[in-house]
Amino acid sequence: MLCQNCGKHQATAWYKETVNGQTRELHLCPECAAKLGGAYASNLFSADPFFSPFFSDGLFSGAAQAISGGRRCPTCGMTESELRRTGRAGCGDCYQHFKDILLPYIKKLHGAAAHVGAAPAPAADAPAANPLEGLKAKLSDCVKSENYEEAARLRDEIRRLEGNQS
Amino acid sequence: MSMFQIQGGFAGLAASTRVRLARNIKGYPYRGLNADQYQQIANKVWDALQTAPAIASAFTMRQVHPNSSDGAALVEQHLISPALAQSGGWLIASKNGGVAIMIGEEDHIRLQVIGSGLCPKECLTEAKRLAALIESQVPMDFDETLGYLTACPSNLGTGLRASIMLHLPVLGKAGRIQDVISAAGRQGFTVRGAYGEGSQAVGGFYQLSNQVTLGISEDAIIEKLVSLATNVIENEKRLREQLRSQDENALADQICRAAGTLQTARLMETSEAINCLSHVLVGLSMGYLQGVSPEEVCAMEQRIHPALLGGAPAARDKKRAELLRNMAKNLIISETSL
Repeated sequence: MLCQNCGKHQATAWYKETVNGQTRELHLCPECAAKLGGAYASNLFSADPFFSPFFSDGLFSGAAQAISGGRRCPTCGMTESELRRTGRAGCGDCYQHFKDILLPYIKKLHGAAAHVGAAPAPAADAPAANPLEGLKAKLSDCVKSENYEEAARLRDEIRRLEGNQS
Repeated sequence: MSMFQIQGGFAGLAASTRVRLARNIKGYPYRGLNADQYQQIANKVWDALQTAPAIASAFTMRQVHPNSSDGAALVEQHLISPALAQSGGWLIASKNGGVAIMIGEEDHIRLQVIGSGLCPKECLTEAKRLAALIESQVPMDFDETLGYLTACPSNLGTGLRASIMLHLPVLGKAGRIQDVISAAGRQGFTVRGAYGEGSQAVGGFYQLSNQVTLGISEDAIIEKLVSLATNVIENEKRLREQLRSQDENALADQICRAAGTLQTARLMETSEAINCLSHVLVGLSMGYLQGVSPEEVCAMEQRIHPALLGGAPAARDKKRAELLRNMAKNLIISETSL
């Protein structure tokens, strides 16, 4: 069977997905499988929509075979073929090391490649920023463990902070 | 209302809301972690919560053993994912079950807030507050361009998956779910049957959730979700009224029979129970039944799943029927149904 995308080469990868009640099948050559992978695989989700895989194993196993060797993430050791097969990053640094592979898929998947949401809150904005709560908890622990020296220091610190607040 | 117990509107039409944030701790790989490393991560999150004792006192931490019956029950309570039940890990959860922080899922941390009814804004606010508390103590993998880094690129950016469990039995029976799926898909959302295989959703429960997590802010995702959900709910309500005007007797008959079954059955399988509860929910929202709140029915729907009940199938069916009878004894058939 010829590839349903290019119509030129022999199809070696078979891809089937059922999303939102619709099933579609594709027979692709290795080149088109690698090229189109992200577009179709982007909709692939497991039974639980909250925890969904990204790539189709079936599709990418074909593509992965076409790649010999491949790079390796120096941080976690993830290989390029593993990345293509599983569709998962092995660590945060994989996104840098395999940027050329991942970025096109990310763009296809989200229609964007730039984050516009929240960033990690600086410590000062966090609920824990009220140092009194943390100090009081530590004081209680110190008293329980009979570490009276540290407890006295914490007590003074708490008094000082309470004095500042009033 | 106690802490971490969020209630929203449209009870009965929106059974529940779930918001989940995915986070990974800097310095740990995303795969191949050993049990010690998962415990270290769980301890870091636990210690971070302890810096706000008022919050921490509402939480407990427990280990989830791989493929355990305990894990299966936690899945049915929606406190952990099936993947975590399989692989094992840790669960830090609020005592009333409103917040679950899963450690050892595909991402190091999956922080989930669940509420009843339509309440994604409130759930997100709570999730962000807790995430900020943890992040103030534990640095996360974050990239200026890609946002929060996750094992799967489908969660990058906000790491937010927000979902509403909608009760759409009439839209489902009318074959209109495909329209809902199409409308949701155009906006980067997906619709799935909550129970059952393929497009046949048992009891007409469907989950509407976002697919896109990057290039859109958390608030914008939630706004779109609420707008889509309310639109779908309006359509379901309209169809219910059409059904009432076309054949009220048949509608009231189905609802009253379901109420009767729940009040009298001695043995009941899960799917029959979900279908009966679904009819009762319609009956309550359309005024055919009273005496029990839609929230109680939705909460019961969460309690009747096999692993939660435990025991052999026959014993479970008996226990399920008992639970349902106990709730349904308060159901009153309104005069309008007679």
